[in-house]
Amino acid sequence: MTDNLNINAGLLLPEDMELAKSALEIALKEGASKARANLSFSVMDLVATLNGQVDKVTHSFDRSLTMYIYADGRYGTFSTNRVSADSLTEFIRKGLETVRALSPDPCRDLPDISRTALDAGTGLELGLWDPERNDMDPQRRRAIALGASIWPKEGLISEEGEYSDSVSDLYLVDTQGLECRQIETSFEYGVEVTVQDAAGNRYSGYWWDSNPKLENLNADECGPAALKRAMSQFDPQDFPVGRYNMVVENEVAGRLLTPVLNALNGSAIQQQNSFLADSLGKKVFPDNLTVIDCAREEGKSGSRLFDSEGVATSNSIIIGHGVVEEFFVTTYIAAKTGLKPTVDDCSRPKVMPTMRGGKREIMDRLSDGILVTGFNGGNSNPTTGRFSFGVEGFLFKNGKILHPVREAVITGDLVTLWNNLTAAGSDYRRCSSRQVPTLAFKDVDFSA
Amino acid sequence: MINTENYYLETFGVSRSLMEELAAEGLRTGGDYSDLFFESTWGSSLMFKDGEVTYGGFNVDYGVGIRVLKGEKTGYAYSESTSRDAMISAARAAGAIAGSSRSDAAPARILTDARDHGSPYVKSDSNGGRPVRKFFTGVPNPAADRYPVLNDWRVCPTTDQAAFLSKLAGAVMQKDTRIVKVIATLSSQMSDYLMFNSFGELKYDTRPLATVAVSVIFKQGDDMESKAASRSWRTGSEMLSDELISEISALAVKGIDEKFEARRPKGGKMQVVMGAGASGILLHEAMGHAFEADFNRKGQSIFSDRMGKRICPKGISIVDDATLRANRGSLNFDDEGVPGQRTMMVEDGILTSYLHDRISARFYGVTPTGNGRRESFRYEPLPRMRATYMEGGDSDPQDIIASVKKGIYVDDFTNGQVKIGEGDFTFYVNSGFLIENGRKTMPVKDINIIGNGPQALADIIAVGNDPVVDKGAWTCGKGQSVPVSCGIPTVLVNGLTVGGEQ
Repeated sequence: MTDNLNINAGLLLPEDMELAKSALEIALKEGASKARANLSFSVMDLVATLNGQVDKVTHSFDRSLTMYIYADGRYGTFSTNRVSADSLTEFIRKGLETVRALSPDPCRDLPDISRTALDAGTGLELGLWDPERNDMDPQRRRAIALGASIWPKEGLISEEGEYSDSVSDLYLVDTQGLECRQIETSFEYGVEVTVQDAAGNRYSGYWWDSNPKLENLNADECGPAALKRAMSQFDPQDFPVGRYNMVVENEVAGRLLTPVLNALNGSAIQQQNSFLADSLGKKVFPDNLTVIDCAREEGKSGSRLFDSEGVATSNSIIIGHGVVEEFFVTTYIAAKTGLKPTVDDCSRPKVMPTMRGGKREIMDRLSDGILVTGFNGGNSNPTTGRFSFGVEGFLFKNGKILHPVREAVITGDLVTLWNNLTAAGSDYRRCSSRQVPTLAFKDVDFSA
Repeated sequence: MINTENYYLETFGVSRSLMEELAAEGLRTGGDYSDLFFESTWGSSLMFKDGEVTYGGFNVDYGVGIRVLKGEKTGYAYSESTSRDAMISAARAAGAIAGSSRSDAAPARILTDARDHGSPYVKSDSNGGRPVRKFFTGVPNPAADRYPVLNDWRVCPTTDQAAFLSKLAGAVMQKDTRIVKVIATLSSQMSDYLMFNSFGELKYDTRPLATVAVSVIFKQGDDMESKAASRSWRTGSEMLSDELISEISALAVKGIDEKFEARRPKGGKMQVVMGAGASGILLHEAMGHAFEADFNRKGQSIFSDRMGKRICPKGISIVDDATLRANRGSLNFDDEGVPGQRTMMVEDGILTSYLHDRISARFYGVTPTGNGRRESFRYEPLPRMRATYMEGGDSDPQDIIASVKKGIYVDDFTNGQVKIGEGDFTFYVNSGFLIENGRKTMPVKDINIIGNGPQALADIIAVGNDPVVDKGAWTCGKGQSVPVSCGIPTVLVNGLTVGGEQ
């Protein structure tokens, strides 16, 4: 392996990839029946600011080799960041020793080669690599981080900003001849501000942006957005408990989709730990809910051509007009359950819009309700779908915000909640890999 | 299991003179402190699932983190190689924080923390008005090891570990006929550390950490429920005992009848009794983070201007402790080479100390409290908690429950979240009971407890005489994950919001 970064795209050099292939050969020679090697390099530079001054700079470069070893009907995984040709044989021998001490598991296998990605040869196919990363230097990074700062401002007690740019280079090979690679850059800026009202109460606000391409990063918008979010919380008031229309802002609406997607995971279903265990092909959700996986959308966060096994992703329907169309089923879980193998997880899920516009248009349409802008703790029960989430946000009437609400909790069950979906906007956040717009639900239980 | 100095120097292939050279290289551009943190970690995990131990693996992690400070500013870089060239390169990258082109490379000794004052104690308003103890640098001492290891995990046969997990899972399955799935995991690690700084201090340590956990799915009629239990210590493989199997298997099914019966109660503001032990997570999240000095130094904590002031009723004392034997949060030295110690944050209701790393200690003019911790060599240290608990009071726990006319009793929380600036918190209640006329009645679940940390502290009206530090596998995430533990006696809080039914 090498530290040399002076290459056009990605971090891996041909000799690094050869090392991964030689690891497979060693595994077979030492008695493995099959193996997969996952070689991952990443580099990141970060500049953090505190109150308008540089507070921290960091540089990191990570390398890891993970071996998935199948031997004598048994299976284990082993990783190291100390990889050299000299130490590889010993590392794999130790791995095989561990594998042979386990119980056999006939369901463990590599994916059928026909399901794997054959179109991820260079790692650049999805357009997630920005050559601009090669031209970044400490001065440019400081300039971006300091340029995005809004310090000083009246009422601002503290401002912590963080700019980073990174490259990740993932190379996956197996003993069937599978070979795939993905190279990504990422440019990110996030800022948290703390403000104080006249009574000395403190409130914080956070905003962030991220993009695979530097030219699409809107760092300058983050500070004002964070400040606005912090100051909007002044003077929170109690509100009558009851059932309300609930509008969930695009920044946080993914929190409600995540437990649904988790319940579609094959592992949860196999372990009987999913409230959607028997839902495949059934209409569980309303007509107006469609969720698709935009796994192969070029140039977008979360997109990928292959999953952790090297299985090819596809743009697919997860929930179509309320019908559950897909579980996320690995090769192993497919063999355990008899379910059709798919991919290990969704990549870039998107809730399809039911109307144009965002929270403003939805609040106008609903007239009265509570706008949720943040979640604060809580949980959902994976086996029952019952949830109880702490939320923060604003009471609105006639489409206009009245005041912030505090110590609010929403309770219910996820299937009922999603069946009360009344609107999904079209205001997706570009930086998020989960494309969830502002959502609206009716008859949500709020207590406080 | 503290080894010899030579063991650590050989593990990382370095000498004292090379470390001095690296520390000096970090200061070349004008930094005023630098340190090196070498780590070699070996970790293993095994899983029992679907009736057998069919999954296992290990990982190796090795490298050095180099930090340079300029005032309170931090430069940080790390290398996964300990070759001289790679480490020099990392030292230069970290030194970039200083930003000047100064070329004198002598590692200047810095006169900035409390140990450099002449007297053994220094008065400080930043320490609640108490004198600051002179800094004691400490030396690695095997005789005082807080986590001695009899049997090193690195040589523990996989077959022995697999047999233990199978026996544990079998014991759990026998506990209840409603069990349909058991997952049992055993994770263990041994980490060697070597630390050196521009003061010339050299420290070394070996930390074990092991966790046994079970996750159980129950089915009763059409209803499904789940429970989880874990035990975690800094110890060697001698922890794999029949006693541990009995303890965890009993814990895994404890309260399952009540969980099937439990309902979501009517919500509202009411008195809440926190059960002893695991309820301490609320203390950690809702109050402990606000005592971490970095949040206070930056003006973000609700306690930023409360040092030396009363923040809760008399009789309440809160401790953060690195000295408990084999505890998950214990440390011989923190990750800045400062001796692990017991820190009183609140004494008899008065805020007396924040939790400091070297940066914040310097800022406040106090001695570091040994709270500089990091997830691995990939991260710079931050003020972090260790074992955080409230000391016992003088009330009988049964009397506390009997004093509540209407409220809830909770002893199992999860998914807590807190906003440091505001102090607002929300915790999900896994299990508990309604209290009616001084007696625990209906089991409750799927509710949230909501409140404000400082206000909840101030609203404590009774503290039990039954303090317990929980033995579960608690991990604190503050951008980095570190093992911690938490504890509390039975406590009555007067008026928290319970999010339940209308």
